[in-house]
Amino acid sequence: MIIIDSLLVGGIRFVLDKVASAVDSEMNDEGSLKEELMAAQMRLELGEMSEEDFVVLERDILARLREIRDAQRGGSAGAVSLGGGFEVDVTFRGDENE
Amino acid sequence: MLTVSTDPAHSLGDAFRATLTAEPTRIPTRRGTLLAAEIAAVPALGRWSGDHRRALREIAARGTYLDEQDVERFLDLALPGADELMAWLEIDRLARSMGKNAQCDEVVVDAAPTAHTLRLLAMPEALRQLAGVLDRMQERHRLMAERFGGAWRPDDSDALIASLETQGREIEERLRDPQRSALFWVMLPEALSLAETLDALARLDEAGLPVREVIVNRVAGEGRGRDDQWRAEAAVIREIEEKLGDRGLRFLPEEEKEPRGKEALRRIARHLRAPARTLITPYPLLSQPPPLHRERRGMKKHPSKASPTNFSLFSRRTGGRLGEEGRGDEGPAWLDDLAPPTLRLLFFGGKGGVGKTTCAAAAALALAGLRPEARILLLSTDPAHSVADVLEVPLGDDERAVPGAPSGLRARELDSGRAFAAWRERHGQEVGEAVEAFASGQGGGVGDLLDLTPPGLDELIALATLLDAVEGDFDLVIVDTAPTGHALRLLEMPELALSWDHYLLSLLLKYREAVGLGELAAELVELSRSLKRLDALLRDPERARFVAVTRAAELPRRETVRLLEALRKLAIAVPAVIVNAVSPGHAGRLAFGRCDIIKAPAVYPPPRGVRRLAKWAETWELTWKQAAQ
Repeated sequence: MIIIDSLLVGGIRFVLDKVASAVDSEMNDEGSLKEELMAAQMRLELGEMSEEDFVVLERDILARLREIRDAQRGGSAGAVSLGGGFEVDVTFRGDENE
Repeated sequence: MLTVSTDPAHSLGDAFRATLTAEPTRIPTRRGTLLAAEIAAVPALGRWSGDHRRALREIAARGTYLDEQDVERFLDLALPGADELMAWLEIDRLARSMGKNAQCDEVVVDAAPTAHTLRLLAMPEALRQLAGVLDRMQERHRLMAERFGGAWRPDDSDALIASLETQGREIEERLRDPQRSALFWVMLPEALSLAETLDALARLDEAGLPVREVIVNRVAGEGRGRDDQWRAEAAVIREIEEKLGDRGLRFLPEEEKEPRGKEALRRIARHLRAPARTLITPYPLLSQPPPLHRERRGMKKHPSKASPTNFSLFSRRTGGRLGEEGRGDEGPAWLDDLAPPTLRLLFFGGKGGVGKTTCAAAAALALAGLRPEARILLLSTDPAHSVADVLEVPLGDDERAVPGAPSGLRARELDSGRAFAAWRERHGQEVGEAVEAFASGQGGGVGDLLDLTPPGLDELIALATLLDAVEGDFDLVIVDTAPTGHALRLLEMPELALSWDHYLLSLLLKYREAVGLGELAAELVELSRSLKRLDALLRDPERARFVAVTRAAELPRRETVRLLEALRKLAIAVPAVIVNAVSPGHAGRLAFGRCDIIKAPAVYPPPRGVRRLAKWAETWELTWKQAAQ
């Protein structure tokens, strides 16, 4: 029993950890994209990257950042609607008779 | 005997009537040996850095994660304040290079004007601090060597550190020993010169550096020049006697002709050999002050109670003078051409003592009067500030209104020490963290580099202030610069700062895995953009201009020619040269290439205070105008 309990608990923890790290890596993706952008700005200043190349790269990075933000919002919005869109049918005995 | 000029705007050769270089040149004399040199700091630094390259590489390799390429690039960067940094090392090198036969008993140093002399005198201490920091960077290496090798043997890098420490200490000791060195302070019998001298002497006293003599040069004396001239002078001399009477004091007479060449210099030398505290030209007994002094006492107005000058005097319609017909083109209405509405930066610069500050202040007042809706800042970047003295209002390191002046005018005297402390307060931590990230190990030391006051601090802070002012609220910033040499260093700053900025950016990019980019990267990018904007502005003749101020004398004229050449190389526009303190009926035409010539008449006593400066600006004459292209 104890083994199963600890497996269950362990399992849940394992899943929770995975979720946590998934969230983390999403944030890391965002963070690392921002760093990419900063690095590109630095290269532009140094003359190591052309204006045109920078514009293209910036557009790409901003697009990906937007994707990530949208995905985050979409996910949590779903969670909200799961909770909020739940309809509860309530009837009163009394109503039926009238 | 070796004479050395450490002022980047050398005049020593002009005085000797000889062409001097960075190596000693023999000046023929009847007796003894006289050599002279004019230090070139940038090549000297390159040479020193080359000579000690191996040692420097070792220290960097042991103290940081930087690789060979990074270190080479670092050692090739130009250094701000190279003049003060290299001066002592060069003086030592020159004194020793005289060869086996020639003995150098004595070195006479012609230093840069006030502020940078003070920086120069603080340098030996800075050398020792630098030695200390480099030493700490070496510490870990020594510990490791002992742990693994059993014994540590000093090598090139230790030798370099030791030599810096020793040189710093020896020079410091020599400076403080009245038997081995003498500091002579030279001034003019003018109020602004006295104010600057009193400040400087106070600082030297504080630093424990004895001044042997204060030499008051070019005393005209009674009967020479105009009445009002010598009366004004007598008033200042009285004050000099009062305030500096307890020091070695010497008065040198004004020569008929500007002294150049050995004959003239020998005459002055004879005066210098006489015992000090002799007033060469007799003045009326001090118990009877000159009449002007008594009169002025009665009429003296407290500056804050002065009524605001009626600035409609400068209205274009009247051509610059109310109630006076037929004055034509006189008056400062043409200042509008000198400083068009598109202008953001207007520099006033020139040889020490010619009247930069007086002209800058007068022009600022005139422009503020002509353009009441404009926000104008009069900014002094000469650490030996004179703006408050010339305006006769209290000023500080903030933008203050000037009582009695048009309301759009502000004035500020930069305090670089304070600004540096504030910057370290704000950014010290991030920069410290980034620096530590490159430092390999607990030996520390690299972080300590931040505790050193950087050479060239004044120029760095002035640059930062210009960046802010230009991107800020002011329509026009009028800059009263330090004398020629350091004014040019300031104008070279944007490029220098950009090269450092880009070096750091490339390091951060290269090591981003280990170090991360963070706030520092963002700030460096922003700084790069600002510097590029400033650079573009400086080279745009509609947005930035430099007015050279000079006097009708040979040494200032020669220095001005060199200044204009340097500005041409920097691609900074010079619309005009102001010839200051011109006596009436002054014959002769001065020409400076394609510049307009403005004559500012001599006034005794020299104009001070808002009212008198504004009136004086009215009397400036545009005597030579370049034909429009």
